[in-house]
Amino acid sequence: MTWLVWRQHRIQFLVGAALLAAFAVLIVITGAQVADQYHTAQAACAAGHGCQHPGGLFLGSHAIGFLIISTLGAPALVGLFVGAPLVAAEAEAGTTQFAWMQSITRKRWLTVKIGWMLLAAAVWGGVISALVTWWEGPNNAEQLNVFDPGRFDIMGIVPVAYSLFAVALGIAAGTLLRRTLPAIAVTLAGFIAVRTLIALLLRPHYMSAVTVFYKVTSGFTPAGSYWQLAQGVVGPNGQQLAQPNNINYIDGVPASSLPGACTQVSRGAFTPPASCTQALSHFRAFLTYQPADRYWTFQGIETGIFLILAAALIAVTAVTLLRRDA
Amino acid sequence: MNPIQEAPGRALPGPAAIETSGLTKRYGKVTALSGCTVSVPEGRICALIGPNGAGKTTLLRLLAGLSRPTAGQASVNGSTPRQDPAFLADIGYLAQEIPLYRRMSAADHIRVGAHLNPRWDAESVRERLTGLKIPLDRAVGKLSGGQRAQVALALILAKRPRLLLLDEPVAALDPLARRNFLGLLADAVAAGGLTVVLSSHLVADLERVCDHLIMLASSRVQLCGDIEDLLAEHQILTGPRKDTTALERSHRVVQVTRTPRQTTMLVRLNGPVIDPAFEASDVSLEELVLGYMGQDADPALARLTTVGEEQ
Repeated sequence: MTWLVWRQHRIQFLVGAALLAAFAVLIVITGAQVADQYHTAQAACAAGHGCQHPGGLFLGSHAIGFLIISTLGAPALVGLFVGAPLVAAEAEAGTTQFAWMQSITRKRWLTVKIGWMLLAAAVWGGVISALVTWWEGPNNAEQLNVFDPGRFDIMGIVPVAYSLFAVALGIAAGTLLRRTLPAIAVTLAGFIAVRTLIALLLRPHYMSAVTVFYKVTSGFTPAGSYWQLAQGVVGPNGQQLAQPNNINYIDGVPASSLPGACTQVSRGAFTPPASCTQALSHFRAFLTYQPADRYWTFQGIETGIFLILAAALIAVTAVTLLRRDA
Repeated sequence: MNPIQEAPGRALPGPAAIETSGLTKRYGKVTALSGCTVSVPEGRICALIGPNGAGKTTLLRLLAGLSRPTAGQASVNGSTPRQDPAFLADIGYLAQEIPLYRRMSAADHIRVGAHLNPRWDAESVRERLTGLKIPLDRAVGKLSGGQRAQVALALILAKRPRLLLLDEPVAALDPLARRNFLGLLADAVAAGGLTVVLSSHLVADLERVCDHLIMLASSRVQLCGDIEDLLAEHQILTGPRKDTTALERSHRVVQVTRTPRQTTMLVRLNGPVIDPAFEASDVSLEELVLGYMGQDADPALARLTTVGEEQ
């Protein structure tokens, strides 16, 4: 059975391997340059007086940056081109009637096929993610934004789970629809919808966020690559202040809520009068965020969710295929 | 004219390769096969005849275990059709569409078969295809329809099954290849241990090799049995045009054709015909099958068999 799977999918395998190899070469070469650039900047910073952080570095290039971001779509590719046709193309061509009339059960046929496809998807997602994670290392250290939506999704272990989910979704859609093109369309739409919904609606709540209140005049920055969910200012009565764009703020507090003395600013040398400081002390700023040390917990939870979804889709496929007439 | 009497020299029927009772398959509201009860003894070549849409493919797929019956039972090689390697190893089923992997060569298919079957006679396929000058290394999608059918048939035989279920196998073959292939089947059956069911909507395709018949029309079994017995049980009666109610009382009239001067009837005999006004003659397989198809046809079509009535 494994030989049949290899014979049927060897072209896909070779194309996939070639794409991965090309990607790896590009990433390794440019990644080495990025690392070099970063270390040089750090060395220069360390030599300089009072510099703790290089700051303002642009690492890599726009083209590579675009390529890196586009790996958001990499898991979908296995779903569309490996998952969706897996059963659908055979049902369309009638070759299931060839395979299932050999001395082999459908269960075994399905198990071997799905097993190899899942393995391929995991390798695909894992290799891409490993390369991206390594390439982005200096950027992550520099910008502390590894938790941001869009970056969280292309690094660590979640791309592996996304790939497994995508291929399982494709297989299930192909099994239910029995036609390749509609299965591809459903897989694409389903993948985007599920990924978006989970990233936007569920991910911020995997653990209850931390909210810190602090004086508007002091400022507060959590350690490391935290994920900021909300930020604002509350007034003396605890009411949250609206933050329209087109008004003046002083330390995040709308000038209109403060005594007139606060707005008498002389350019470059603003020492607020006592009345103003007094008024500001009634306001508090807050920051709602997920601390940086939760990063791997979040990666783990998201991975778990997509693995469960993938398992459910495989179960649907198996039940459908084993119960249905050929 | 005893229908139960065995033709001389033929062995008693052995154990049944196929035995069904009340086999029914419905797809939603459409009944594809209804109450099918048939039996095919081992070692026979059975023609499965019926007009398009009669349920031939449905029956074959049920027997192969590719689909499950809505009602009724089937026993194939002594067991219920199911997804089980031992059951499948004994069955060779070839669908009408000749499903093969279009991008794979015959040699690839031979290799797949070797991996997936306990018995596999790869040499026989190579020999046969080489003999037919069919390239083993070309993608089967690039072969002609006839060549593809030959590849599929050779692969089915390589499995060394006990029962072959072939859905319209000769449809894609030219007359010479047809003759050739049916000869090959007859030899394989003669060598022992093989039963074959071949479907077709044309009797002429299969008449030469088959010794058993299942006839389906409108999802129902119209006839099932040994061809010689069936031919012996039926006769064509030709006589002056007159009242046939007496005849109809003692025999089963399958089809009647009336002209102003005479009446021709296909009857299933129930004892000798005593009416001297009617002349009895033997029936050919084609006449028999067409008679049963005509009987089943809807009334508008059936009227066509009453030739020249209005003149």
